[in-house]
Amino acid sequence: MRAVLKIVNRVLIGFVGLVLLVLGGSVLAVGLGAPAPSWWIHDDRHDVLLSDAERTRWRDDTWWWPTVIAVLVVLVVLALWWLTANLRRRRLAEVLVDTGDGEGALLRGRALESVLASEAAGLEGVQRAQVNLTGRRSTPKTRVRLLLAPHVNPGTALNDLTDRAVAHARTSAGLASLPAEVRLKGAKHGAERVS
Amino acid sequence: MSESQGSEGTTQPLPVLEKDAGPEPLDQSASAADYEPPSVLEGDGGRERRFWSARRIPAAITALVLLFLAGVFLYDIASVRAERPPMAWRRELAHQLAERPLDDIWVLVGAGVAAALGLWLLLLATTPGLRRVLPMRRTHTDVRAGLHRDLAALVLRDRAMEISGVQSVRVRMRRAKASVRAVSHFRDLDDVRADLDATLAEAIRGLGLSRPPSLSVHVRRLGRKG
Repeated sequence: MRAVLKIVNRVLIGFVGLVLLVLGGSVLAVGLGAPAPSWWIHDDRHDVLLSDAERTRWRDDTWWWPTVIAVLVVLVVLALWWLTANLRRRRLAEVLVDTGDGEGALLRGRALESVLASEAAGLEGVQRAQVNLTGRRSTPKTRVRLLLAPHVNPGTALNDLTDRAVAHARTSAGLASLPAEVRLKGAKHGAERVS
Repeated sequence: MSESQGSEGTTQPLPVLEKDAGPEPLDQSASAADYEPPSVLEGDGGRERRFWSARRIPAAITALVLLFLAGVFLYDIASVRAERPPMAWRRELAHQLAERPLDDIWVLVGAGVAAALGLWLLLLATTPGLRRVLPMRRTHTDVRAGLHRDLAALVLRDRAMEISGVQSVRVRMRRAKASVRAVSHFRDLDDVRADLDATLAEAIRGLGLSRPPSLSVHVRRLGRKG
């Protein structure tokens, strides 16, 4: 997930929310009898939402329909981009490895992911590990999901992951840094009695 | 824990004690204890910020609704421009918009729903979300980790179950507080509670959280049997 999309999501959601809140709230307030300022779109509680005169005010102007269509096209394109950007899972296909002799090698992202995941899954108390690479191919990032058994300390498990699995992946791919975002979850199980 | 607090109480002059020791310098092993969060190694830098959700699903749904509405209007308006008759719903919609007054019950209901939805979207946009993910202390500058609340509760429960005299434990983990309710079936209640306090403080330290939750322990006796 790119950081930009996170911000775009929140700005757009907030904007849509604000529009809905203002329109809905004002109709509700005016409809329940609150006085409306003279410049507002609705006059009083007997006004209608959108009268025929308001709807057709600019209909005979030459600019009206092209403008409406252009606005709708922009909206459709924007919504389509927003939707696909959110639905697409970004994964890094390959990582650029600096071989040190002036040339580079490409490492398949899947390979690095599976190596990292299997090493993480081999750590003490880790039941399952899932790794995704994101970012750019010269500066990859990784997202790790661990399913932990509750008998290990999560702090210890995180240290193991950092010092071994992530560190190995970083050095073996010759990367200066490999930022990781880790989430630790627990495997459900019943309470065990000590007899 | 109580020892360290006791020594603090005796070695420090009174005004300093009031300033430093905070709200509850008294011993607490006798009552259901509300502990200060265990002092984890400070100095690892500041506290971690919370995880912020990307809000993908609300964003995708909003985008889908926008796309659908804009697309339908675009299609119909374009087809009318191309000299085809408008679809029935658009006439009906225009008719309804021009007919119903603002104090019509359905207009009010619709406005209320829109306002509530808008408020909810605003909340989604401004709050971090991911309440169930507790940020962990950074041990490496590049690694940012979050611990799921359920796992934290599970770890605390397992540690508590290892104490002798504890028959069952319920752990409720919130963002700033872990409340542990244990049922004991033998041993002195105060001993069990002291063990629980020590073990759980250690376990909370082991969670490696950036903001260790405060701990409250309640122990009660299993209902009397014959």
